[in-house]
Amino acid sequence: MTHTQNRSIGRKKLLTEMAVIFLAATAFGIAWNHRLLVNAWSGKSIATAPAPAPAAGEASIPLPLGLQQVKELYDRNEAIIVDARDRAAFAEGHIKGAVSLPVGEVEGELTRFREKAPPTATIVVYCNGYSCHDSRTLADRLIGAGWRQVYVFEGGYPEWRDAGFPVARGK
Amino acid sequence: MAGCRLPGGKGEMMRIARISPLVVVRLVLGGIFLYAGFTKIGDPTSFAGAIASYRILPYFGNYLVAAILPWLEVLCGLLLITDYRTRAAASCVAVLNLVFMAALASTIIRKLDIDCGCFSKTGEKTSALTALGRDVVLFAMALYAARGKKHPSS
Repeated sequence: MTHTQNRSIGRKKLLTEMAVIFLAATAFGIAWNHRLLVNAWSGKSIATAPAPAPAAGEASIPLPLGLQQVKELYDRNEAIIVDARDRAAFAEGHIKGAVSLPVGEVEGELTRFREKAPPTATIVVYCNGYSCHDSRTLADRLIGAGWRQVYVFEGGYPEWRDAGFPVARGK
Repeated sequence: MAGCRLPGGKGEMMRIARISPLVVVRLVLGGIFLYAGFTKIGDPTSFAGAIASYRILPYFGNYLVAAILPWLEVLCGLLLITDYRTRAAASCVAVLNLVFMAALASTIIRKLDIDCGCFSKTGEKTSALTALGRDVVLFAMALYAARGKKHPSS
């Protein structure tokens, strides 16, 4: 075999084929998800059409909210934002103005939380995003304890922070 | 695996011994990537969330990767399984695994306690170390599959 010649031709071919695979996947991915991408792109610049306000009413399950909807509630000061993560994670960084209510300490903290949040208040619970289920657990618990309008911000702290929205550190 | 050199193995036996592990690796690797991609294709939003938890990319970058990566995985998986352009597909898988390993290593260094997001979420969290170990194996398999077939002629 003429190794050197074969090799350089083979390498070039290999790289071309890899590029074709990558470009094909990119094309498929963008075509398939173009709506999502457009939304994500416009979600970055704040000047978007107002997201529909969450339907008021009595919920027996916590309803999910997107980043923009949470931001709207936040800007209008219409919701109490609740952080379901533990104290350490809260201290490291949280949505500015959020109340810390770690899901593990909810039993002890509930009376104190009740003073801050009347049962009619709109509550948005978050934790560490999609891989984290604490917000859902806490929201279920709050609904069980009598709060009527409880929402879960599924993107959680990572999405909020990465969008460049106000965050704070410390207790 | 390596110890299957048969005493007095004739040409045929040697061919089988040399080829079959390659086929197995190719099919397993292809199957894993096909599965990994397929579970994520339907829910790019939550995959974007999983990527965002790595805290590496900017906001839109998470969605862009979430839109493309599952398709890349499915495509590579299909190519590996069908044995079409195997070398290129296996090389892509190797490169992907290098990227995954770098991302996972960075979460370990930064002490981020996140789910790797490797497959769609099953409720159970996969630690970065477990995922890293898995990726090392997949990377080795990809290299093996890529090197095993020098001439991608049909």
